[in-house]
Amino acid sequence: MNDRFASAAMPSFNPWQAAIFVCLTVLALLFLAPTIGVLLSSLKTTEDIALGKLWSFPTSLYLDNFRTVLADPAIHTYFLNTLLIAVPATAGSIVLGILSGYVFAKLPFRGSDVLFLAIVAGMFFPPQVILIPLFRLFNGLGLLDTLWPMIFVHIAMGIPICTLMMRNFFATVPAALREAAIIEGASEWQVLTKVALPLSLPALAVLSTLQFTWIWNDFLWPLIFTQSDDKRTIMLGLVFLQGQYSVAWGIQGALSLIASLPTLIVFLFFQRYFIKGMTMGAVKG
Amino acid sequence: MEKDKTLWRVAMLIPPLAVFGILVVWPLFSSFYYSITNWNGFSADYRYVGFDNFLQIFHDPLFTRAAVNTVIWMLAAVIVPTGLGLVLALLIDSQVPGASVFKSIFYLPICLSAIVVGQIWVWIYQPDWGLLNTAISLVTGGNSHFAWLAKPGTALYAVIAAWSWQQTGLAMVIFLAGLTAIPADLIEVCHIEGASSGQRIRQVVLPLLRPATVVVVALGLINSLKGFDILYIMTGGGPFNSSDTLAMHMYNESFKKYHMGYGSAISVVLFLIALAIIFAYFRQLRKVDEIYE
Amino acid sequence: MFKTTRRALMVSVLGSGLMAALPVQQVFAGGEVTISHYFTGDLGLDGLKQIFAEFNKETGITVKDSPIGHEDFKTGILVRAAGGNLPDVFSYWAGAKTQFIINSKSLHPIDDMWKAANLDAIVAKPVADGATLYNGHRYLIPFGYHYAGIFYNKKILQKAGITEMPKTWDEFKAMCDKLKAAGVTPIALGSKNRWPAQFWFDYLLLRTAGPDYRAKLMAGTASYTDPEVAQAMELWKQLLEAGDFTKTPNAYDWTDAADQVQRGDAAMTLMGTWITGYWNTNKFTDADYDFFEFPTVKDGVPRAAVGPVDGLVIAANAKNMEGAEKLLAFMISKPDVQAKWASIQGALSANEKVDPKTYTPVMQHALDVVKHAPAFAFNYDLATPPAVSEVGLSMFSQFLDNPGDVKSMLDQTQTAAAAAFKQ
Repeated sequence: MNDRFASAAMPSFNPWQAAIFVCLTVLALLFLAPTIGVLLSSLKTTEDIALGKLWSFPTSLYLDNFRTVLADPAIHTYFLNTLLIAVPATAGSIVLGILSGYVFAKLPFRGSDVLFLAIVAGMFFPPQVILIPLFRLFNGLGLLDTLWPMIFVHIAMGIPICTLMMRNFFATVPAALREAAIIEGASEWQVLTKVALPLSLPALAVLSTLQFTWIWNDFLWPLIFTQSDDKRTIMLGLVFLQGQYSVAWGIQGALSLIASLPTLIVFLFFQRYFIKGMTMGAVKG
Repeated sequence: MEKDKTLWRVAMLIPPLAVFGILVVWPLFSSFYYSITNWNGFSADYRYVGFDNFLQIFHDPLFTRAAVNTVIWMLAAVIVPTGLGLVLALLIDSQVPGASVFKSIFYLPICLSAIVVGQIWVWIYQPDWGLLNTAISLVTGGNSHFAWLAKPGTALYAVIAAWSWQQTGLAMVIFLAGLTAIPADLIEVCHIEGASSGQRIRQVVLPLLRPATVVVVALGLINSLKGFDILYIMTGGGPFNSSDTLAMHMYNESFKKYHMGYGSAISVVLFLIALAIIFAYFRQLRKVDEIYE
Repeated sequence: MFKTTRRALMVSVLGSGLMAALPVQQVFAGGEVTISHYFTGDLGLDGLKQIFAEFNKETGITVKDSPIGHEDFKTGILVRAAGGNLPDVFSYWAGAKTQFIINSKSLHPIDDMWKAANLDAIVAKPVADGATLYNGHRYLIPFGYHYAGIFYNKKILQKAGITEMPKTWDEFKAMCDKLKAAGVTPIALGSKNRWPAQFWFDYLLLRTAGPDYRAKLMAGTASYTDPEVAQAMELWKQLLEAGDFTKTPNAYDWTDAADQVQRGDAAMTLMGTWITGYWNTNKFTDADYDFFEFPTVKDGVPRAAVGPVDGLVIAANAKNMEGAEKLLAFMISKPDVQAKWASIQGALSANEKVDPKTYTPVMQHALDVVKHAPAFAFNYDLATPPAVSEVGLSMFSQFLDNPGDVKSMLDQTQTAAAAAFKQ
């Protein structure tokens, strides 16, 4: 990807490189095995899986599971709903995290460390702890069975991680840069948007990817806050394939592969920006 | 100047604090309130019982086991993905062909939901036709039928392995982002001075990766509680509570035994433990900041 | 700053898109009943959808359906109860679990509706009083029930030369020996989720100490340290140590155990009648399997039948009480609705008037057994309060992992159970 570790006089074949390549390939195969399991399950009938034939390669290509999933109009609704939750909630939590992260990193005050600690500590919970009070709150607001509770809750639950991450990255922005800008008449808002944020692109890329992935894959909140089928999310669709006495494994495999695509696409899209973070290194060096 | 600063502080902190306060802190403390009651979750009438629920903790053998497991889980959830992620990042960053393919492969597991990851690892650990026993049988030439998830000695660690598999890619990506931020000329200087790659990594790269490490460790700690989902799916805390963590114990007491009051007491304790860990971590974080300020 | 405006624009576009996609919750004036239940999976959902459509045609009342998967249902319904927003009607397990929420004043008694709809004449006798009557009032309508029997693979038994099904414990053990001699593990058990093990405890205790003693144990007036319990566990232990069970039951789901029997790796499994629904969809049919009753262990002890009852209940603060009662009456009184539902679930109908001919031969057999049983007992986790059953179920899986020291296991169970009863 880049030649920073390569010495200038490197020969065309490097035994180290070959060893690393082999090593990575072996690890990659180990890492892929479980995912291949999902793929195999999606290509098999529930009956085959029940009889323990999961890990064998399919003799014929059985695509009915994918057909069933893609043709189901309910799945389309689930996808749209999940998107309508994940996008605003991701954006919202990052914006709020940027604001608080900037204050904690660049405008510390007496007690700000304790406040920061309290916010981060707020994340150390199984969310089940706050299920009942939140349910009461949204019930009182008449928002049950809409997408709003999930959007609000994910924004709130994302604040600790976004604050932590943004504070950490803003801390690496040299104090001198901010002071120079302030002396030139810039407001804190301008320092944040024009100086600090452009230097924190990798953090934004990482956060967008993470938040989107977590929100996309969550099923606890929609399980509690939605009741109608047309308000449900894709992960609930996945959970509901589990019947009272049996599970449609093949369809679940197919749906989970399809349901994972958006998060994978988000990752592939944002990983380019991880590299753009080079600018940050340039300043720091 | 200082007045300006205060104004900005207030303006910038109010939106996040308001949202966080209403949707996390308030519900948290209102659920803490149940810890001094005998509420069962259903009944409209419950009464104040003082610290009875907290005293009960001392007579609850399941709590002790869950606390020990929580520590094991948190340590492993931080150390394993961090270590493995760092190794992977260093390997991938070394100009290896197909780096972006490798990166995507290692990252892939994060994209899968806990439901799927849990299920697929149940299939891997399956005693008869599971992938792990099949592989062991192949290597040893024996006939391995070990029930990894059903034995109290291995269940917790088997889930930790699945969890690490899912989380390693995340650590790797953050380390890679950290590595790209290391100025190229710094590495160049090392080359000129003739440092070996081992030296280079130890003396130059690792210290500069500290901000990334801070993030990875923090994420590991925070995420270790998200691990509830996968534990819930793979063992549900079993067999016979041997893989219970405090979060699982809290869940069982509140939602399965309908001891909402006692469950809330457990979550208060969990909160205090978390606070202690974060406090220790926070001090570490401050040391890192000193490098930059 | 230009960037900021573009971003702001994007946010507002997105926001308005959201508004459009999220219509304000519609409120129906009295014409709607909300229901939540755990009958998920394709078959169950489709079946209910049809049933609700018929109900709508007959009464004009819309049913707003909100299914939640079995395990998640337990959390979901508790949160809704705690938050004061229970659906009008919800499914629940008859027995101690229903008793528990009645004691918490969460349910509405249905005595008047019961009388008006003449349910005494309709509800199947074996489950009528035990499942529906709590503190002297009717609270629940049974929506289907199951019976636990020893289901076996016909071909495997034939191959081992077994033609007569065992009636007594000795015959049963002889049968296991015969199967082992033929190279087949006699009994499959998948106790990963703990509850499948309970049927062994239930039947062994019922067949040795009798239904009255068991009722006492379930209510907390007898002790797990009593010789009656020790004896039941001892019989179970003998089977385990004789190698009659599949290895490491805790590693398998009940469906795995069903698969083991289907494949012929094991000969039989003690399970509820829902296993027929599972097998039928996996192309293992009536021609391939049957069941026999749990054998007599001690002479003179009444041969009780064990099983769970799925019920429907009405929340104490239901918004549409009248509609909810109508729905419950509809669900139980229509023989065709009940017959259809029973066949989907692999269940026995709770409606006496359902023609037995609509059942498969195996289910007819099950109905016959239940009708002639002197008592119908709920399985362990429905017979004893939830906090106690958690303790007991964990004890069963510890026992299955290592049946070594039964006495200390029972001592610990008694301590924990006594504490749970007190709370």
